[in-house]
Amino acid sequence: MPREKFEHDLQRLKDEILALGAMAERAVAESVQALKKRDIAKARMIMEDDRLINERRYAIENETLTLIATQQPMAGDLRILAAIFEIATELERIADYAKGISNVTLMLGEEPLIKPLDDVPRMSDKACDMLHRALDSFMREDVEEARSIPPEDSEVDALYEKTYRELIACIMADPRTTEQANRLTWVAHNLERVADRVGNICERVVFSITGQGEELDGPLPR
Amino acid sequence: MGKIAVRDLSFSYGQRLALADVSIDIEEREVTALIGPSGCGKSTFLRCLNRMNDTIAGARPRGSVCIDGKDIYSGGTDVVELRKRVGMVFQRPNPFPQTIFDNVAFGPRVLGTHRGGALREVVEKSLRSADLWDEVKDSLRGDALSLSLGQQQRLCIARVVAVVPEVILMDEPCSALDPIGTLRVEELMRTLKEKYTIVIVTHNMQQAARVSDRTGFFWLNDQKAGILAEFGATEQIFTSPRDQRTEDYITGRSG
Repeated sequence: MPREKFEHDLQRLKDEILALGAMAERAVAESVQALKKRDIAKARMIMEDDRLINERRYAIENETLTLIATQQPMAGDLRILAAIFEIATELERIADYAKGISNVTLMLGEEPLIKPLDDVPRMSDKACDMLHRALDSFMREDVEEARSIPPEDSEVDALYEKTYRELIACIMADPRTTEQANRLTWVAHNLERVADRVGNICERVVFSITGQGEELDGPLPR
Repeated sequence: MGKIAVRDLSFSYGQRLALADVSIDIEEREVTALIGPSGCGKSTFLRCLNRMNDTIAGARPRGSVCIDGKDIYSGGTDVVELRKRVGMVFQRPNPFPQTIFDNVAFGPRVLGTHRGGALREVVEKSLRSADLWDEVKDSLRGDALSLSLGQQQRLCIARVVAVVPEVILMDEPCSALDPIGTLRVEELMRTLKEKYTIVIVTHNMQQAARVSDRTGFFWLNDQKAGILAEFGATEQIFTSPRDQRTEDYITGRSG
């Protein structure tokens, strides 16, 4: 089989991306669960584990550079490696959002919530589902699946908009809620950004397969 | 239409069809690289551009090769004049067993330059163009064969440049050179293309990617004749080839 070593190393890198993606996805889901359950210990653990995610990202970058330098990949192979480089960065940033959410959990401490958290977990579920399928489309080189995911970002955007308005309403009803409402807005904003970055990942997947750059944005916010 | 416009060029060695219906436009003052597996007609194609195949018994070209709009296969083409306009550098450096000076002066002498001052001028200018002057200026009367292979190849380039061609054909010019010699020839191509149109056949894909503006990918059709499977801007060929055969070849999955 031609290029056996290259194929082997490339597959290993793709597996590494999948593992990094699983870590980022779990960090996001668990950060929201910890916020909802007010689990400070869990939140602290997520913040500490972010270091492992960063290390894994740099390891992937190093291996990608090594493969480029030693195997001189061309065309589709080169595009996949460029995609791996970009996707690793996106995943690391996604995990940073989970860290930010965990930080809010720490800052809120035992303080009672000003409103029940319903839409925030929905945003998290949706964003994590999108992320999971985006990485699946990368592994299976499924360009149609990759194209179909970013438009779903509008669901996350709508939930963000709704949460934002409700939190503004809380502030207007009782200005003492301002600080917590601000922090919860930050949580919703982070989740909204997770979904945006999933869109970026999908664009890299499409480019790596087709060689054509495509903007896959969902509908613009009203 | 480019500097060289090739239309439906087919070429046979006796009964064997080596090239089938190749059409390509080679642009002036650019480097065009031709890649593809061994035996797919790249060198045959290159040698059609200055009729080097004419000397082979049973060789038969069909189609047209126009340089500046004139078909070099039409009657009345002066082949000596053609090869002055379209020079060639070969796989292994092939300096004449003479001095460095006489190697470079060979062409100008044949073309009628005999005055010492004029010859010295053209030799220096050509050696400078080939990035060799500084290394040999004190040993112009030395034996050309005592130079390193990399220097010999640059001497051969100087010899081509001395007759002031318009097009330089290079058939795997670096295959006998070490990495440093290779890089020097590649750098040289970058400066030479300011004045000349360069067509290079190379088996080294990284070299094609480094030096060329456009790349043509040759492949074999079902009848085992060479075809031009894809031709495009070098960036496009090496990042997003349109033809699956190109993709498979440059990613090392075929050929």
